[in-house]
Amino acid sequence: MSPLPPNPLPLDQLLCLFSIMLVPLAAAGLALIHQGLGRSRSAAHSMLATLCVLAISAIVFVLIGASWAGFAGGPAHTFAAGGVRWDWLGAAPALARTAHFDGPDASGLSRSLLLCLEMFAAGLAAIIPLSAGTDRWRLGPICLASAVLAAFLFPLFAHWVWGGGWLAQLGANFHLPPLVDAGGAGVVQAVGGLMALSVAWITGPRRGKYSDDGVAAAIPGHNIVLVMFGCLLALVGWIGFDAAASLLFYAAGPQKIAGVIVNAMLSASAGLLAAVVVTRARYRKPDASISANGWIAGLVAGSAACAFVSPVAAIDTGLAAGVLVTYMVEIFELHLLVDDPGGAVSVHAGAGLWGLLAVGLFGRFPDGSRGGHLLAQLVGIAALIGFMLPLIHAANLLLNRLMPYRVDGDGDWQGMDIRELGAGAYPEFVVHADEFVPR
Amino acid sequence: MRLVGCLLLLSGFALVLAALVLLTALSQRSAFAVAGFAVELLGLGLLTQGYKSLQKGPQ
Repeated sequence: MSPLPPNPLPLDQLLCLFSIMLVPLAAAGLALIHQGLGRSRSAAHSMLATLCVLAISAIVFVLIGASWAGFAGGPAHTFAAGGVRWDWLGAAPALARTAHFDGPDASGLSRSLLLCLEMFAAGLAAIIPLSAGTDRWRLGPICLASAVLAAFLFPLFAHWVWGGGWLAQLGANFHLPPLVDAGGAGVVQAVGGLMALSVAWITGPRRGKYSDDGVAAAIPGHNIVLVMFGCLLALVGWIGFDAAASLLFYAAGPQKIAGVIVNAMLSASAGLLAAVVVTRARYRKPDASISANGWIAGLVAGSAACAFVSPVAAIDTGLAAGVLVTYMVEIFELHLLVDDPGGAVSVHAGAGLWGLLAVGLFGRFPDGSRGGHLLAQLVGIAALIGFMLPLIHAANLLLNRLMPYRVDGDGDWQGMDIRELGAGAYPEFVVHADEFVPR
Repeated sequence: MRLVGCLLLLSGFALVLAALVLLTALSQRSAFAVAGFAVELLGLGLLTQGYKSLQKGPQ
């Protein structure tokens, strides 16, 4: 048995390592939520798609995306305009050559931890659109879109915020505080949520969702128990993500991690309770699926400022996210005719953008005025809506030309399990026997 | 309508960037950035309306 190394890891890196190990639970939680809110005839397809997305995004991000995500102080592509040098894309060596998994130096280990965390972050961002494309997005295009997201779209915005890009340099270039996104509300959640919106637009609604005059039919999720269990798993993963990102990107220090955990729990709790109360008031009984969305929305919104707000502010952030998501789900489904079975657009994009704004409203920072922080956060939100959304949508339109996203009419009717996998998730429960008969 | 929506999104973002580059006072920058953000919301609305008419799907 070999003796312990003479220089054990510093506490913050050890804590960071442990926190990163929790992050896959967030992916597991989201996977359960997505498949539980979809139909039983597409459950196996949904879970397999989640695994494929995680696999592809991990490989593609480590080989390509990490280079473009870069790291603060690392090599980057820049250009000069308006008297300012704009750092817009990382230029670190490809194939993860900056990570030193056996290197003794502290910076090398930090970069290895960075690679670990961002690898999972790319996977999380790529899982989110699955929710919007449930029951009709084909597996091949899912893999292709995930590869593009992990290779370029996610690394681009990750570099801007976490890799020393122009949003992280607002202070040096424009005398503003840098954009703060400690837990990935913008980098991971909003990017994934905007991708979900684009996918929902391109794939269109599920068969029978809307009548000719635009009236929506309710297509309830098939397993709300799994959805609730997914919420619990997601909490653990989120705590890990918030803690690791705060330590790595904002040097929060181990002493702040207890606050990060408390804030994550409080914002999720407030989001859930707000959704329960609002749906109880509006529909006479609490809506379980929207309440679950409120829980996740609280986690999403609270993640941006997790290390920089008081517990009371975390509750406020979660409350607003919970209320926001109940109305956004209804507006998207009933008025804008966006068929998003898992509510990904509202939960991840809506709450993520609100979370970024909440940093400016509630954040406690030693330097910089409140107005300066608000403006910096607004610039980040504007970059997501005004630049990332058109870019993501253009990429999806192009990919849809190369490999059509939507399954054909018969596949929509049969369910994705039979159509793409050849077998259902619950073969002994023949609840859709008539619909499985080939026509 | 969808193309115009996308162009408005980009235009709004350009306005926000212009506010950062051209102006120095926080109040002016904020007003300009809010205006740019409003243009983005207009573009998002147009894009959404453009897709709304396509969202009936197969029956």
